[in-house]
Parts: sequence; C-alpha cells; structure tokens
Amino acid sequence: MAATAATSASASDGATSKPDSENDYMLDVSQLNEVARKGLVDALNSVNGAKTLVLDPSLAGPLGLVTEVALLKHHGVDKMFWLEPGPLSASTTNIVYLCRPQIRWAKIIADHIKRHARESQKHTYTLLLVPRMSTLIRQILEDEGVLGDITIKSYNLQFIPLADDVISLENDTAFKELWVDGDETVIYDSMQALITLQRMYGLFPRIIGKGDFAARLANLMIRHIPASDPSDSLLNTASEKIDSLIIIDRRTDMITPLLTQLTYEGLVDEMIGIKNSHVELPVSLLTPPSAPNQPNAAASSSAAPPPAQTLMKEKKKKHHLTVATDPLFAELRDLNFSAVGKKLNQVARRIDDDYKLRHQAKTVAQLRDFVGKLGGLQTEHQSLRLHTGLSEMLVPMTRTDHFNKSLEIQQNLLASYDIPTQITAIEDMIAQGTDMQLVLRLLCLASIIAGGIKAKTLENIKRELLQAYGYNYLPLLLSLAAPPLAVLLPSPLPQSTPQSVAASKYPYTTLRKQLRLLLEDPDQLDEVENDISYVYSGYAPISVRLVQCVAQKGGVLSNPAAEKDKKGGDADGRKGKGVAGTGRVQAHPIVGWKGFEDVVASIPGAAVDIVQKIPGALDGALPPVASMMIPREQPSTTVVFFLGGCTYTEIAALRWVGRQNRGRKFLVATTGIVSGSSIIESIAGIERGSGTSKEVGLQ
Amino acid sequence: MAEHPTTTWEAMQDASVFYRRHQVYSIPGKLPNLGDFIVAGCRYGGPIALMRDMNKLIALNRATPVLAKTQIQVYSSAGEGLLLLSWDQGKIVRFGWTGDERLVVLNEEGVYRLYDLQGDYQQYSLGSEAGELGIVDARIHESGLVALTGSLTLLEVRGWDGAKPLTLANPGISQPPFSWAVIPPDLTISRHVEVLLSVDQTIYSVDNLESIDQRLSRGPFTHVSPSPNGKSLALLLSTGLLWVVSTDFQRSLAEFDTHNVIGAEGDVRQVEWCGNDAVLVTWDSLALLVGPFGDTLQWFYRGPTFAITETDGVRLLSPDSCDFIQKVPASSVSVFRPGSTSPSAILYNAWENFTRRSPKADESIRSIRPDLGAAVNECIDAAGREWEPFWQRRLLNAAKFGRAFLDLYDPADFVNMGQALKVLNAVRFYDIGIPLTYTQYTQLSSSSLIDRLTARNLHALALRISSFLSLRPDAVLRHWACAKILRSKPTATGTGKDAELDGDDAVCRSIVEKFESLGGGSVSFADIAKRAWEAGRIELATKLLDHEPRASDQVPLLLNMKEDRLALTKAVESGDTDLVYHVLLHLQKRLPLGTFFRLIEEGGSHLALASKLLQVYAREQNRDMLRDFYYSDDRRVESAVLCLEEANAMVDPTAKITTVKTAQKFFSDDKERSFEAKMMDESARLLALQQQLEKDVDGKMSFFGQSVSETIRTCLVSGMSKRADKIKSDFKVSDKRFWYIKLQALTSIRDFEGLEAFARSKRSPIGYEAFVRHLVDKGHSNEAVAYVARCDAHKRVDLYVLCGEWRMAAKECKDRGDRTKLEQLRKSCPNSLIARELEQIAASMK
Repeated sequence: MAATAATSASASDGATSKPDSENDYMLDVSQLNEVARKGLVDALNSVNGAKTLVLDPSLAGPLGLVTEVALLKHHGVDKMFWLEPGPLSASTTNIVYLCRPQIRWAKIIADHIKRHARESQKHTYTLLLVPRMSTLIRQILEDEGVLGDITIKSYNLQFIPLADDVISLENDTAFKELWVDGDETVIYDSMQALITLQRMYGLFPRIIGKGDFAARLANLMIRHIPASDPSDSLLNTASEKIDSLIIIDRRTDMITPLLTQLTYEGLVDEMIGIKNSHVELPVSLLTPPSAPNQPNAAASSSAAPPPAQTLMKEKKKKHHLTVATDPLFAELRDLNFSAVGKKLNQVARRIDDDYKLRHQAKTVAQLRDFVGKLGGLQTEHQSLRLHTGLSEMLVPMTRTDHFNKSLEIQQNLLASYDIPTQITAIEDMIAQGTDMQLVLRLLCLASIIAGGIKAKTLENIKRELLQAYGYNYLPLLLSLAAPPLAVLLPSPLPQSTPQSVAASKYPYTTLRKQLRLLLEDPDQLDEVENDISYVYSGYAPISVRLVQCVAQKGGVLSNPAAEKDKKGGDADGRKGKGVAGTGRVQAHPIVGWKGFEDVVASIPGAAVDIVQKIPGALDGALPPVASMMIPREQPSTTVVFFLGGCTYTEIAALRWVGRQNRGRKFLVATTGIVSGSSIIESIAGIERGSGTSKEVGLQ
Repeated sequence: MAEHPTTTWEAMQDASVFYRRHQVYSIPGKLPNLGDFIVAGCRYGGPIALMRDMNKLIALNRATPVLAKTQIQVYSSAGEGLLLLSWDQGKIVRFGWTGDERLVVLNEEGVYRLYDLQGDYQQYSLGSEAGELGIVDARIHESGLVALTGSLTLLEVRGWDGAKPLTLANPGISQPPFSWAVIPPDLTISRHVEVLLSVDQTIYSVDNLESIDQRLSRGPFTHVSPSPNGKSLALLLSTGLLWVVSTDFQRSLAEFDTHNVIGAEGDVRQVEWCGNDAVLVTWDSLALLVGPFGDTLQWFYRGPTFAITETDGVRLLSPDSCDFIQKVPASSVSVFRPGSTSPSAILYNAWENFTRRSPKADESIRSIRPDLGAAVNECIDAAGREWEPFWQRRLLNAAKFGRAFLDLYDPADFVNMGQALKVLNAVRFYDIGIPLTYTQYTQLSSSSLIDRLTARNLHALALRISSFLSLRPDAVLRHWACAKILRSKPTATGTGKDAELDGDDAVCRSIVEKFESLGGGSVSFADIAKRAWEAGRIELATKLLDHEPRASDQVPLLLNMKEDRLALTKAVESGDTDLVYHVLLHLQKRLPLGTFFRLIEEGGSHLALASKLLQVYAREQNRDMLRDFYYSDDRRVESAVLCLEEANAMVDPTAKITTVKTAQKFFSDDKERSFEAKMMDESARLLALQQQLEKDVDGKMSFFGQSVSETIRTCLVSGMSKRADKIKSDFKVSDKRFWYIKLQALTSIRDFEGLEAFARSKRSPIGYEAFVRHLVDKGHSNEAVAYVARCDAHKRVDLYVLCGEWRMAAKECKDRGDRTKLEQLRKSCPNSLIARELEQIAASMK
C-alpha cells in the first residue's frame, strides 16, 4: 500500500524525481554553503570599514555559488576589481585581495603595492588566501619587498554544493596539477576538505579507493585524524549517516571523460560549456516574454523562443543552472539527450493543460485557486522556454559531421572494432581541421583502449597534428605521453620506457567483459534507461562501475532493472529478504572490493580498503568490521570522491545507481567538474572563455 | 567557628544592597610602600608588578633597598615575591598584564617585551617609525595595547604575537591628553578597540576609522576609567566631581562630589570600578566606594593602597592586607540576610535545626516544599560565593539536606560546585596566592587556571587539579617537560661524549614515559624539542623530535637544526605541499645550488614530489634556476620544453627561431627523441619561411607563428598558390590535408572557378562528397550541385536533397529506378509544389 502511495505520489508530483521520504536521510549539504559564507563574512569583517575587494577571476565562479554581491556590499565591500596586471585605483583605504595561492597573483599584488608607494597613495592591504596560508606566497612577497605592508590571512573555502547531492572544490586545474605538474596540493586540500566533512558528520567508517593518488589521499586522511583536535567529538565517532567513502582517482578511468557525454547536462557542458554551474546563454532565452501576465493561447504561442540560428548570435548572459529555481532541470539534466525532446513535449502538454484549467473555473473560489497556481505555472513555463531553446541550440550541433563521426569512432573503439580504420578516420579528421581537442581525445582513447598505437602510425599522426594545429603543441603531446599520465603511447613501447609506464597499461578488453561495460543490445536503450550505460548510449563509465563494485555489487553483473521484472513475481513471498514492493533491493552493507578483487587489481594503480579506527573506542566495543557487516537499519549515504574531477554523466550514472537501491544514497564529491575538452585544454594551457570579461561582479 | 558571613557586610541604599569587604590575605610588611611605586595589577587574582616611581623622593631605609637600575618586582596577591626583573633598555613608559598573566613592558623606543612568570621574555617592536617618534604613553589591556607616540598619534597592537601595529585615526590633538583609557575590542560594539582621550573640555573617542569629539563641556577629566563590561565610564572632573556616564555618552548615570569627603587628603590615587555598578575612589589612606545612587561606604587604611578592578568586585592591596570588595551576591543575601524568609534561608535554617535535632526542621521543609528545588540551587550557589570553607561546607550540607526531600534532582550542579570549591580553596591558599572568586573562575575557565599554575612552575598542583577535573594533562606536561629540560644538565662531567648521550637519553626517556603514563598523547613533542634545541641540547632535541607525529611541527625545527634531508623527507611524507615549499625555499637560500640540486636528485622517487614542486615554482619565478636544474640532471626533454615555452611567449622573430633551434638541439641530444628533434627542425624552418613570406608581401599579411596548415591557407587566400604548393612539398603535407585546406580556403574567398579547376586538377583524394558538404555548409548550395554528379552513385540522392535540389534528387532516383527512395522523398519534401513535381516524376517512371 505504502509503495503504491509512494509511486503515485512521485507520478503526480512530477517536479521532484525522488519521493519525499527519501530526502529525509539525504545529507544536508547546504550547511557547507553556510560555512563557506560565514567564513567569507568573518574574513571580510576582520578588516574594519569600507574596503575595495580585488578578486582572483578563477574564484569569482565558486564565490558566486556561495554568496551574492549584496552580501559583500553589506559587509563593507565598496568596489570590486579583478586581480589583473596594471594599475589599481582604489577609493578606500582598505584593499582586500582574495585569491588562490598562485605565484602570478602574488606578483601582481606586489606590483600594485609598489605602484601605490611610488604614487604615495596610502592603503592598508589585506590578502585572503584560499584555502589556506602559503609559504610560497609569503616568500614571493618578501622577495618583492612588500611583505611588511600586507596582512596575510586565509579564507578556507572548501566544498561548495553544486546540487543537493554534488559538492565540489571547484578547482579547475586539479587534473593538470596532479598528472602533469606532479603538484599534489590538490590532494592535501581534498584531505582537509574531507576531514571537514568528517567533522560535520563523523568519521567515514570505511575508506575504499582505487588509484595511486587515491591511495595517497586515503593514507593522508588516516594519518591526519589522530593529529587533529582531540576535543572534536564528531571526529571520535563513526558517522551515523555515512557508511563509507569511495575515492576514485581520475587516472583509474581515463576513458570515460574522453568520450562525448550524451546526457542533457553533459552535452550542454560539451557543447556550450558549464562553468561553476553557470552557462552562458542568449539573453532572449533568459528574459520572459514581454507580456507574461496574459497567459492566453496567443501569448503562449508567441512565447516560443526564436530559432536556434538567431539565438547563437545573440548577446550572451550567464545563467545559473540549478534545480532550486528550475524544477524542470531536475527532470532533464540526467536524461539521455535523445529522450529530452520527448520529455519537453510532455511537460509542454502538461503546462498547457494546466493553463486550460482556467476555462473550467466556474466559481470565484475556483478562479482564485487558479490564480494562486499561476505564479508556479509561469516559472515552469519560463523554464520550459529556456530548455526548449537550449535543446534547439544543441540539436544542430549534434547533427554536424564531426560530431557524428567522432561518436562513431568512439563507439567502434569501445567495441575494439577495427582499430586501424578508426585511426585512419582520426587522421581524416585532422585533415579536415576538426577541433584539436576532439582529435586528441579520440587519439588518447584509441591509445588507451588498444594499449598504444603503432609507433610509425603514431608518429605520422603526431606530425599531422603539429602541422595542422601548430608546433607549439609539442609540449602538450609530450605531457600526454609522459608518466604518470601516459595516455598517448606508441606500441610496442620503446626499450627505454620506465617500468611504471609499462605497468600502467590499461586492460580495457578484459574490463569490458568483466565489468559489462558495453550494453550487448543497444536497441533496448531507447525504451528504458535500464543501466548506467544509458549516459553514453551504451557504454557504462568504468568509474561508476567501480563504485558499483563496492556499493551495488549486483549491478555490475546484471541489470538490476531488468532483474526487477523477473523478481517482481515472487517478491511478496519473500518479504524477509528485503525486497520491497517498489522492487528495489535493500542496499547491501559496504564490504570493500570483495568479489571484485581480481578485476580491481588488474587496473593499474593501488587499491585501498581501510576501516577507520575510532580513536576513542574501547577494546570491548564491537570490532568495526563486524558491526559494519550487520545490515543497517537506517538508510545511509555513500560519499564518492572523484580525485581529479568527474563528468556530469558520471554524476547522472551515480544518481541512477542510487535510485536502484533502497537505503543508500550517493553524495558525489569532486575536485571539480571536468570534460574531455577541459582536461585537454588545461594541459595545453588554454584558458576557457568565460571569467575574463572586464565587467566586475559575481555571476 | 568562623565568624558569620554577615559580619563583613555593609548596607547601602537603605539596606537593600550590601557590600562586603573580605580580607583575603594578611600581608603586613610584605609589600613596600605602594605610594612610591608605579603599580600594575593582573586581573583574576593575578600578581602585581611594581616599579619605583622615579618622580618621587623616598627616604632611604632598610625596607627599601637602594636601586640604581630600573627594576620591576612582581608579587602575588598574598605578597609573595614571584619575580625580580632588571631592565637595561630604554626608559619604561608603561607596563601591564596580558590575559594569560604575562607582563608587558613597553619602553619609549617602542620596544616591548612579554615576560612570563619565569622571567623568560619575547621582544617585539612597534616599528622603526614609532621608535623615531618615541612613545609617550600606552594603555595595556588583556589582548593588546594602544600606544601614544611622540607626535600624539595612536598605534594599536592586537594580540601578543608580535603583530604589526595598526595606526588608529589621528585625533589631531596638540598636547597630550589629561588622561585616557582604552576599551578592549571584545567589549565594544564595533569589535575594534576604542580609545577615549580627555582633551580640553571634552573627550575624543578614537577607533581605527575616525576620531569623534563627544562635545562635552565639563572637562578636563583627571581620571577616565571604563567599567569591566565596557558599558559605563567613570570620569573624575578636576573639580573633584565623579561622573558616571554610558560609554556612548548618551546617558548620565550618576554624579558624586568627592570634594567634601571626610578624611580624603591629597590627590585622588585611583578611580576603579568595583564590578559593574560601583566605583571605588582611593586616596592615600582612604578607599571610598560610591554606589549607583550616590551612597557611599568608606574604609581607612594605614597607607597607600592599590585597587585592581575585577569583573565582580575590586581587589585592594593595602600595606597590611589584600582585601576583596564586592557586592554581596544575591544568593548570599537571600540565605543570610537577617530576617530573610526566602526558601533558601528557610532551608538553611531547617538544616541547622536538623543538626540540632530539632523537630522544627521537618516543619520548615514542609513549608517551602514547592520551592525546595530552587532553595537547594540557591544554597549551592551561595556556597560558591563564600570564602571560608567552613561556610561553604555548611551551605553545601544544607543543600544536600534539602536534596534528600526531592524526588528527582540532577546532582550535577552540586558535584560541580563541590569540585570548583575544592580547586578554588587550593589556589587561594596563601602559598599559591590566587584569590579567585567563583564568578571569576567560571569566566576564566579551568584550563586557563591550570595554565596560570603551570606558569608558576606549580606542576604537581596543576596536574592534580587537571586530573581532578578530568581535563587533559597535555598543557601541564608540556610545560613540565620544558622546565625539566632547562633544569637538567647534560651529565657530561668527566666521562666525555658518551655520558652526555646517556644524560640526553635519560631525560628523553623520562619525558616520553611520563607522557605515556599520563596519557598526554597529543602533546607536541616539537615544542619541547624546540626548547631543548634553544637550550643547546641538540641531541636531545633530535631524540624528542622522533616522537613528534605532526610533520608541520617537526619540519621547521629540523630545518633550524640543519637536518636538511630529514626535513625534506618528512615534509614530502606529510603530503603538505606548503611544508615542502617551506623546506625548498629555505634550503634554496641556504645551500649552494649544486648541493641543493643534488639533495633533491639523490632522493630519487622518494623525493619526487619535492622535485616536481621545485619545477612548478621555478617555472613561474626562477627560470634560470630551473634551466640549471634540468641541465645538471641531463633532462634534455624538459630543457627543450622549457625553451619551447619561452619561444611561445616571444615576439621577436629572430629570437624565437634561435630558441626553437636550441630546443631542437636539446631533443637531438637524446636519441629517443629524434621525432621531436625533427619536428623542431621543421618548426624552425617554418618560422624562417614565414619571415621570408612576410618580407615578400611587405608585411601586408602576417604569417609568423601560424601552423603549416594555416600558412598554406593564408597563401591560398592571398592568391599565392605557387607558394602554397611549395610549402606542401617542403613540409610533405599529405594530399588529403592539402585538399581540405584548399577546398576551405577557396570557398572562403568564393573562388569557385579556382575550386572547379582544382577539383579537376586530379582525382580528389578526399572524394567529392566533402566538396558538396563543405559548400552547402558555407551556404553555397548552388555551387555544390555541380559536384554531386561526381560522387558515389548511391549517395547522390541524399546529397541533392542536401543541396535543396529535390528535382535532381528525384531524377537520380528515376535514373536508378529506386521507387522506394522516391516515395521517401515525397514524404519528406518541404512543400506541396515540390511534392507535385515529385509525383509527376514518379508517375513518369513506369
């Protein structure tokens, strides 16, 4: 009975994809937002009086997610400027710099101070470093001779909630820093952020991870707990709400981000680019039509967004993609793009029906009811407009030759079908002058899947690449080939290659079978989204499969959704087994990699599985492992941390996994949202478009 | 039996309020004549510091030794000498106490020292500017100080860790204020320090933003004294009028004329607050307590006194005694006031009857039954307010008695009070000499009390109290260990180096054992090791440091001890990149470059992180060093990449080519990198060629820095197709790519004839479909049609449709006899006109 009520509730209440009962045990990540905001306010208030804020452009996006300009103004910020070379003229005595500890910022700041000194302007300088103090910056300021003039403090900005189940450090360069520069600062910062999380919710009872850097992070976390403040009571108890932390390091699964994402949100990121949850959209999509107060039939038809071609040329404005103000987005974001049209159609019809209700309003009371609903309808209407327009912009992009060709190559490569032909196809794409990042993605994909590309062929392609796009990309090619990244390798490897590179060869073909990466029957796909592979139209992300190896073991081997139909019949007979009427299986306890040890071991990189000791626990208490084996009564959350970033599709896939079980939700934590292009571009040192505009202000 | 509490009470305001003066210690002859000294007292029962007032003449006698040098003496409240400091720096302008009982001494040169009770000090300065101007005066509060410079500006120091002084708003006064005071930041609304200066007739309140003239006309004020909660201000006018106002000068609270006080002789010594609602004015031998309604109490003393404001009263040191004057707390009044009928008084009375075995006890209890819980609580509270253990015990007994009649009662308060009193009685003991009241104790917190005890080297008592209160013993143990290290001498007498090691071993072992046995798990061994190192016990420091789990604490000391490799290894292991940078930057400065590089390189994979971070840092900040680093390690590829990065940033063509050539050379030195070398060779050639091209077109077009493909395209677009062909052959550009480039280039300049000629020049390596698609893409459908015929037969229909040539498509269908395709076309065609035509064609197919 309860189950039918729940399903009917979810059916009638289409705006939220999850029934309310499940939201009860979701971790409330908005606390993190509060913490971040309060930290900023405190940091600003430590400087008395009106102040000029000078902001690191790369922080504007993340800050925009936690605060708004009004709040800053309220706390004495008079004017804001980007931190950029050139003179700075401030009207207030106090100047507050807010930036990440990067050398170039320090140099600009030093330049400002020296310039002011020359012009004999008197200012008080405060530098807020994110997320913590840095010896390096101090040193550079000292070298420049301005350390004495500036007060250095820190503003500890850690996880920022992007959605109610996604938190991110919003560090765009994490991948490059780790795997190209070898700068492990991100790991340390992640460790601190995760410890903050533990401080809020208690210790993760178990830490499971895959990948060398994941292992390093896990070990750092374990080492740092006893050193922290012993009076912190939550760090002395195992978390009630969280059952484990799964750390996936990006190198463990390089294939997934290289593929083109095919969910709605993923595709928007690929095609238009989402930065800190903000996307640049044409103005006309964002502003409601001129006469929104007359929802008659004529108005609703005139409200149709202008055709895609004109949209592309229009002036752009940043728009915050969030479920909070846009319930429709919650329904759309994780859909495969092929299903988006249908969904939009449905919603359009529903809204139309709702509008029509007013004709049935006979009495004044009924009319009043209708007017009451009108506001909600209009918001929905507006978001429908937005997403229809956005999809219309995407459609032509998905129809281009390059796009389809690259999808075809990707699918063939994933199936290991005739790899030499695919490589020739990639070569053709270079000849046609296709986008450099797309070509490189395909090339790396081919190299990983085939275990390297024939040396002669590779050399040819590299030559073509350099001639077509410029010799200045040679360092990029070298970076891609160098360990520990090593995603673009010749085959066979030359004699001199270090052992580590040889060991990092990726066993894709075996994984494909063992982890059921490719859906055998892709035709099914259009009908039901019955496996995580829907996000790539038939390929299941390895990273998410690995998470399933820990948190939903059944899901790796077979389709839980397909099985559901079979089991549906005898479910009532075996209530004790925890098969509920909804057909969803009770989540099993976390037992580490058990059952998949071989598969996991075959992937390069260390595997970790640590049961955290509770510092205060007595010997007589239940050994933690044993206590963990008991199925939990309470629903729990599994935190999945992507070290080096994750894609929107992976988030979508994890949400899907979360829906398959009862009693387990996933909280996705990541160093940032990445896509294949953002990875390649960050290695190449290309800055992504937005954030460089001169206009100052948060998004 | 101790005398009844009420014997020390004195009534005020028609006996509605009582004040009491309790003699805490009797100290006849222990303190010198306070009139001859400048005194500073520390709050919360802390010690007092005395320095001879050089402006006063004193008679030489035995009691006051002749001092040539400046000395500061520190006494506990019980008159015990704690410390004697000799001062050899510039003239002291002010001294005072910090919140954690350290003595701050500030001299006229702007240098200040923080002495702990062992006589160790840290020295800081207010900066060179302050030194030049000179410091005239200062006010020291618990968490900072405000100094008045020679040019009458104000400098503020926040906290006691040597922070840079901040300049407060300039009050713009021309002569020193008559008197002034500071309201500490935690008591002001703005949370920033506020300075009150008595200038002329008025008072200026100054903070770091502005200086506000309060526009008073009653000044000048000889004393300005803010209350402990910072809400009210006691001002003494030159006329002798005491005026109490709120600190925002909006409300006048009380006025009292001190002029006609009997027995007041000479100048007013001090105006201090007694708690937050009464003011104590002292003369040489008189202390006058002025209540909020102008009622007064007065006490006479044998000589000059010194008053220290506490949050709940005032401590008064006189030649004979240390007194504590306070308003009698409500609970004590309630229990002990003669004729009190409050439940607590009845409860207390009942208990007394009970001990006398009088049946009245039961009757009394019955009568207050509903209020018994409150009565018990009040008795407990009253116990906390009593100084005498005798009365404390009686009150607690009364509470215990009352508790027995309650069904449900949480004994936590009772137990806590018992514990607190035990601790308080222990520290009030004259040997210890910390006369702390219960209120002060709750404000100060037990852990700070323990810190105060350890600061006096009373480790045993501190440890016992902390275990009694089940607090962590860490702080005490750390202090103890440091003290032990300083006291112990390496036992190096005679037997040489081995014996010394033994001595260190023994000390280290005893410290570690002590920590383990007492559970001081989170004690920072680094702190202790640092003290050992400072004391010159390097061996001991190293040994202690081994026990330190936190790298962030370990590493700086290791660096100081010149254990470079160990420091670097520990830093890398910690994963804290900032720490690694700390070590790297430190070593880079100290070591010769070669040694520095060797240290990192020899670390191999273990120090890989350090090596990587050095590269990240050097790439931005010190490229020359990075070049040397790569060179010294024979890293040719990295050297080459570094060159390329520089080349990318260069504008000057010649320099760029040279740099690319250097990169090429680096690559060619590595035989694995022949491909890269070849590419760089090509790159240099291309750049040279582009330079030539630009020269040829007289700079009308820019080529420099383009890729090969772009160069060809630019050539084609600007009609230099010969050159394009030459580049193609020079750089062995593949046919396919060349064809695409040419197709795109010619389309972009709409040279369709040229395109046609090109298409005919030879068989297209990219097929003709590409032609069609590209042309359509760029909106040249009409031109595209011509190429459809050359495409593969089976694609033609679709391509025609792409060009919008439905009829041609249909014709193609017809030619091939493909009826189904034609049907499809008909269904998908855009308008009826075409549909009709298609139908005709279909009909004609028969």
